[in-house]
Amino acid sequence: MTEITPTDLGVIDDFAVREHRSLWKDAWRRLLSNRTARLGLAIVIIFVLSAVLAHYFWEYNPKTDLDYSLKLKPPNLIPNEEVPSIHPFGTDKLGRDIFRRVVHGGWNSLRVGLVAVGISLIIGGLLGLLAGFYESMIITPLERIMLISLIGLLLGALSAWIAEQPIQAVLFALLGAAAAYFQDFLTGKSLRIIFFAGLGLLIGGGLGLLANLATAIVCGSLGLMIGAILALPLGGKFFSDTVMRIMDVLLSFPGYLLAIAIVAFLGPGLEKGMIAIGIVGIPVYARLVRSAVLSVTQKEYILAAQSVGEGHSRILFRGVFPNILSPVIVQSTMGLAGAILSAAALGFLGLGAIPPEPEWGAMLGDSYRFLASGAWWAVLFPGLAIMLCVLGFNLLGDGLRDALDPKLRI
Amino acid sequence: MTRYILRRLISVIPTIIGVTFVIFMFQRLIPGDPAVAMLGEHAAEENVERIREQLGLNRPPFLDREALAQGDFNSFFDTQYIRYLGRLTRLDLGNSIHRRIPVAETLAIRFPATVELALVSMILAILVGVPVGIASAARRNSLLDSSSMIGSLIGVSMPIFWLGLMLIMVFAVFLKWLPAGGRISANIQLEYQTNFIMIDTLLAGDIPAFIDGVQHLILPSIALATIPMAIIARMTRSSMLDVLQEDYIRTAHAKGVMERFVLFKHALKNAFLPVITIIGLQAGILLSGAVLTETIFSWPGIGKWVYDAIIGRDYPIVQGGTLLIAMLFVIINLLIDISYAFLDPRIHYD
Repeated sequence: MTEITPTDLGVIDDFAVREHRSLWKDAWRRLLSNRTARLGLAIVIIFVLSAVLAHYFWEYNPKTDLDYSLKLKPPNLIPNEEVPSIHPFGTDKLGRDIFRRVVHGGWNSLRVGLVAVGISLIIGGLLGLLAGFYESMIITPLERIMLISLIGLLLGALSAWIAEQPIQAVLFALLGAAAAYFQDFLTGKSLRIIFFAGLGLLIGGGLGLLANLATAIVCGSLGLMIGAILALPLGGKFFSDTVMRIMDVLLSFPGYLLAIAIVAFLGPGLEKGMIAIGIVGIPVYARLVRSAVLSVTQKEYILAAQSVGEGHSRILFRGVFPNILSPVIVQSTMGLAGAILSAAALGFLGLGAIPPEPEWGAMLGDSYRFLASGAWWAVLFPGLAIMLCVLGFNLLGDGLRDALDPKLRI
Repeated sequence: MTRYILRRLISVIPTIIGVTFVIFMFQRLIPGDPAVAMLGEHAAEENVERIREQLGLNRPPFLDREALAQGDFNSFFDTQYIRYLGRLTRLDLGNSIHRRIPVAETLAIRFPATVELALVSMILAILVGVPVGIASAARRNSLLDSSSMIGSLIGVSMPIFWLGLMLIMVFAVFLKWLPAGGRISANIQLEYQTNFIMIDTLLAGDIPAFIDGVQHLILPSIALATIPMAIIARMTRSSMLDVLQEDYIRTAHAKGVMERFVLFKHALKNAFLPVITIIGLQAGILLSGAVLTETIFSWPGIGKWVYDAIIGRDYPIVQGGTLLIAMLFVIINLLIDISYAFLDPRIHYD
């Protein structure tokens, strides 16, 4: 008897055997079935393709691009006597073809966006991941030793720097490790603090005495404080709180104000803009990832993983990480839009790309003074490029949020 | 509740110290010698020395360990950052490098212009954003809903400096309906008391001047309000949609309560809490957007001043302006957090 395979039966293909689809494939299908998301995806693809193709195949040297005879000409699609070349978007104050510069400017904008989001995502994501994870997980003894000796090292480094005695940092790190290791030593809280603070005083003050009395007093009182801190039963919550406090400081600078200020002091440049925008984005991702991790770690499968004795790193990377990807992907897409917008703002203020490098914001900043004389094209097209590109990423991000929302998964 | 408010107040202190630290660190970002960078390479030596003295640049940045090695306690703490903090407690933000006038004084004069523009923009954003959000939620998936949501997505994606330029182009250059920039026409004589044009003109009883001031406000406030308006509309909509799915709304409908009543009395009250958070965050967008908007519309506020200072490398002004805006933002968010304690009796803060 010959074996019957599903394909022989024909019907099974459509009916009984449902094709296996992964979560991502499912999300992708949902994304494509959404009209606005499709529009966003199309816009993004057009901008990415044109920027990449232009960068590699359409040579452009901004340094030599200059033709005063064609200064501020309106768009023309048919060559005529006055303007012998085609300029679909017109020309700017130096007679440069705006279309060409808009297309090439896309490369710079996308580059800034990608690098900036990369910086915020890697630093902010990592901080948020660790903060959220250790806030909800019980810290293991080994991790506690690492954490508290790290605190000892960092705080001790200050004392070591003041006294110019590197050995102090090492000693404080060891003190931290000891305090964490002998967790049950001297259980009375105040007694424990007094004991370790005394040890800290000995380290700081004793070594400080080798320099002079003043150093001994400063380092001694520092050591007293460090020792007291190390004696406290610090855990994941402390780590998380510290990280989030620092993020709060960064979040106190509204919008792109911090990026503007950083670049204002560093001096203009595309690379500096990327870094500044990246730094500004760090707390956004740290907060997002932390809250996502906090909700994931409440799930039963994490409890199950813990109860079968899986290690923290395995739980973190196999259990938590894949499950926080959806919001991170959505935020990164929207973040790209925001980064491109911030980069354009920096460029407009003269803090982005250094002229004559083509960049959308800088092009606007260059040309808006000619608006009063009627040169609308020099302002309209670069701005339109910014808006469409940002809109594309926002539409895509919106669509991704709907597509990745697991509540809708059937 | 008092404990919650007190704790929230205390929790702001480390943030504020952190902000001053970040702003202090700005001047260490300047490549090379800051004093030379501020004045240019050909500056007279005495001027460079003056700036060094003003900013305390001849002291170490944080702690002077050399002084300590000599056994000198007082000099140990006499450093740039400590001096900077000391000046801040006296509300001394340093002097403008080029004009040599105190930064704090000019900030105080220019501040009302920024606040006036931001307030008008905020009111505009709320007056348009909230009703649009409610209407979209009430008529979900209607033409109104989808068009307003697409509109708001475009609004969020809008580079406001470009929008401002387009508004100038259409309404000031081509149509000549509204002025392109400034706060008030140059030919109007006005006695400044509060530095709020709207208030000053009314105090003077000068109606034409008031109208002129309003005309100057229209374009910049539209430009500045666009992004907050879009965000508020989206947030109101999604918050309303969440609330409208609650059981008690169904109950209200079942009891035969009028639709209008369900929407505004039952739903809106509970939907408004997240909206208020968002409105608070928009204050930040308004304040940072001020740099761009004020630059485009030649609006004589803090933003324009900071922009001019960036171009002129007048770093104390950039530091002072950034500090003021950041502090304002921190205070607004603090107030919003505290207002929760009054607005939402369901939540216990302990």
